[in-house]
Amino acid sequence: MKISRLAMNDEGFIFDPETGNSYTVNETGLFILRKLKEGLSPAEISMALSEEYRVSFEEAERDVEEFLEDLKRYGLWRKSHD
Amino acid sequence: MIKVAVSGINAVDNPGPGLGIIKGLREGKTPVSIVGLAYDAMEPGVYLTELIDRAYLMPYPSEGEEPFLNRFLYIKEREGLEVVIPTLDAELPLFIDLAPQLASYGLKTFLPTREQFRLRAKDRLPGVAEAMGIKIPTTLSVSSYEELGRALSELRFPVMVKGLFYKALRAYTEAEARQHFQTIAAEWGYPVILQEVVEGEEMNVVGVGDGEGGHFGLLAIKKLWITSLGKIWTGVTVTHPGLLTAAEEFVRHFRWRGAFELETIVSGEDIYLIEINPRFPAWVYFAVGVGINLPERLLRAALGQEPERDWEYPAGKLYIRFTDDLVTDLEIFQHMVTRGER
Repeated sequence: MKISRLAMNDEGFIFDPETGNSYTVNETGLFILRKLKEGLSPAEISMALSEEYRVSFEEAERDVEEFLEDLKRYGLWRKSHD
Repeated sequence: MIKVAVSGINAVDNPGPGLGIIKGLREGKTPVSIVGLAYDAMEPGVYLTELIDRAYLMPYPSEGEEPFLNRFLYIKEREGLEVVIPTLDAELPLFIDLAPQLASYGLKTFLPTREQFRLRAKDRLPGVAEAMGIKIPTTLSVSSYEELGRALSELRFPVMVKGLFYKALRAYTEAEARQHFQTIAAEWGYPVILQEVVEGEEMNVVGVGDGEGGHFGLLAIKKLWITSLGKIWTGVTVTHPGLLTAAEEFVRHFRWRGAFELETIVSGEDIYLIEINPRFPAWVYFAVGVGINLPERLLRAALGQEPERDWEYPAGKLYIRFTDDLVTDLEIFQHMVTRGER
């Protein structure tokens, strides 16, 4: 799984050692990426995000879905990932 | 102290590999004295006395084998040369052919065979890629206008129009492709290679094969920034398992001997072979910088020693090339012009 190989630092700099591509993400993006790396599902991440930032589950879910779409576009995440 | 001759000391906008090799040799454990082989008195390496102890002008390989060999043997006598590391495509066939003669004079090399050298021809790449278990972009070899017309109707634009060994021009339309075909044919002859453009990451591998199917180290990089001539200016190390496996397969299958560079495009899971260079690339110092001193390993192999074979390196090391200035007296230039050496 691509996410597991990504190197991430606390400032939101992400490096893919296989492709040499690098990305920057904001605090929320980094939170989601780290949870994905831990193996959490999108629903679990939405829950964690709503708790961490005290926002509604629906709002957190929207943010997570939007971010996953971005990851998909960069070839870093697939819905069928296991 | 081992006396080593290195060519390709033209550190210009299309840099030769010489200076990177020399920096690697100087950083190695084997003490060396460097003789630079130049084809022009203005080659910057000639003036870098900290890196290159002595410099000599060579006749162009196109002048033939005899003047080349005579000049080289003169340098050998003068300097007591033990090893030569040629780095330029134009001189490699001569050095490969002359290797047995050079050996009889006590001059050591570690070069690919003539047959391995031929694998770099673009019309050989499909077979090489197949042996490596990777792909090549759809490629057609054409030698006439009729064949060109047929090829263009089969290929998807944009296409690359390439010489058998050198030069590549991108064409977005049929008219452009026809124009490039003429340019390439006039400069490099037939066949002209037409190839569909594959979008993806430009990744290259440098290595040294041991001639028996193994190697003395590999390094894979991605080009991050290139010049208008397509030369790498910034790069990053990558650890793409598929690419490294393919490179090992290349070395194993062809029992590659000596330095090589594989140029590829990586698109998702697919790896496309674009070019094989039977020598070190100009960015070879990148390997030295991440702890795999390929130039020194090649030197040790040429000397008949057993070089290291470890090649673990971290992904995410950055390579930055930069230009520099040097101010010096006219003296070296004078010597190169009047004596052909300094």
